[in-house]
Amino acid sequence: MELFLQQLFNGIMFGSTYAIVALGLTLVMGILHIPNFAHGHLYMLGGYITYFFITNLGFGYWYSLLLSMVILGFVGVVMERIVFRPLTGQPPINAFIAAIGALIFLESLALVIWGPQGMRIPNPHPQIIKMFGITMEAQRLLVVGGAAVLIVLLHLFLKKTTTGTTIEAVAQNREGAMLTGINVNRVSSMTFFISSATAAVAASFLSPIFILSPAMGAVLGMKAFIIVILGGMGSVPGAILGGYFLGLIEALGGGYISAEYKDVFAFGALILVLSIKPTGLFGKQEG
Amino acid sequence: MLKLEQVYTDIGELHIIHNVSLNIQKGEFVTLLGSNGAGKTTLFRTIAGVLKPAFGTVEFNGIAIDKLPVHKIVDLGIVLCPQGRQLFPELSVKKNLVMGAFSLRGQKSKIKKNLDRVYEHFPILKERSNQLAGTFSGGEQQMLAIGRALMSEPSMLLLDEPSMGLAPLIVKQIADVISNINHEMDTTIFLSEQNANMALNITERGYVLESGKCVLEGLCKDLKNDENVKRAYIGA
Repeated sequence: MELFLQQLFNGIMFGSTYAIVALGLTLVMGILHIPNFAHGHLYMLGGYITYFFITNLGFGYWYSLLLSMVILGFVGVVMERIVFRPLTGQPPINAFIAAIGALIFLESLALVIWGPQGMRIPNPHPQIIKMFGITMEAQRLLVVGGAAVLIVLLHLFLKKTTTGTTIEAVAQNREGAMLTGINVNRVSSMTFFISSATAAVAASFLSPIFILSPAMGAVLGMKAFIIVILGGMGSVPGAILGGYFLGLIEALGGGYISAEYKDVFAFGALILVLSIKPTGLFGKQEG
Repeated sequence: MLKLEQVYTDIGELHIIHNVSLNIQKGEFVTLLGSNGAGKTTLFRTIAGVLKPAFGTVEFNGIAIDKLPVHKIVDLGIVLCPQGRQLFPELSVKKNLVMGAFSLRGQKSKIKKNLDRVYEHFPILKERSNQLAGTFSGGEQQMLAIGRALMSEPSMLLLDEPSMGLAPLIVKQIADVISNINHEMDTTIFLSEQNANMALNITERGYVLESGKCVLEGLCKDLKNDENVKRAYIGA
């Protein structure tokens, strides 16, 4: 029972991070209609920016997290402007290739600046909390709570504000949105800002727990991509639930069977879901 | 109010619109007749700024708009209610309408007033304001599209074939509302139609487009008696 609860908690913690990263990816996918393969690398860069402020400049954890959010948000805006916007109206394969170019650039940039060795942010909340017979670091609890707050805030923004609704409108009908007077380019920039800023939050949450490395973006980007397909392309609830789902599968499969096979469970779940429901858990029928 | 001079529009390699010039005064109700493929939609998309003319100018109240982005043109007061409706299928009826008032964002009382007025024109939209737009029938979607276009209080409304694919009874209902909008709200309307019977009965003046060229223009009462128009569009 204790093992189960411990793994359940770990699963929810991983799932929280997956959910916010996948949420950012799915929002951008709605606008671009292609997956931004560099999304995981933005996440990686967000971790390093937080690291830079804490380690090199000696700023506090929360202040660094906030700065990292804003800076990575603008990195996303610039990326949309120079990598994706010039390719609007061209075959999707061009944007695919551009995204791969962008991810190679970001990974090399991190390698040049910070080197290939792993780095760690000192844990700002190392206290140990005992609850329901399991032990956890306060930082891990923060990941779970913080992610939930972020998801609720994003949901309210999308559903209850006019500005948030423009993101949905552009995703559902780009030309229709233009004709109602929405500046579609500005909505694209805003979506990239939100998507990158949330990735920075996820990275800042996890980097006191795990080691930062330039290669970690590729792994997380791939997982976010699995989640988005699993949950249904462009679906916001799909990305959130898919994130928690994947986190739980990995933690429980890893805890009970073998941690070595963690990724096998993730991809296995993807294959299983797609063979039963090809549009994903929350996907709409094509057409 | 709206003035096109020698407009040419290409889509890819195809030359769709050739040398179209026209002039619409404030408050007028004008139709654009043409068969399938004549270039009506392309011409409307050019005016709305979705397509840019290869040559020629489009002026609105003396301002050149042919190089402006679509949202700036909407801000100036021209709104296109497009063919195929281009609604937001996963948003509720009410959210679709509120998006239509995007250029008035922040002006809550004005948006509320326009929403009430649209509900007055189309009571069914009020009854179903929380339903998703994608679940609507064709006629209801057309009403929603017109309603959404009206939400920003345009001074000029471009309606691209609102009767397409609809039952005659619905066409009649929509035609009545369009006439009302023109008369009561003093909105200038430019209406493209294949359904010449309906269009010539409610509008005052018309242009006839054939293969991207403007081949005829005149008052509706004259167009109705024109042998070519009769043969090609009325079928008498």
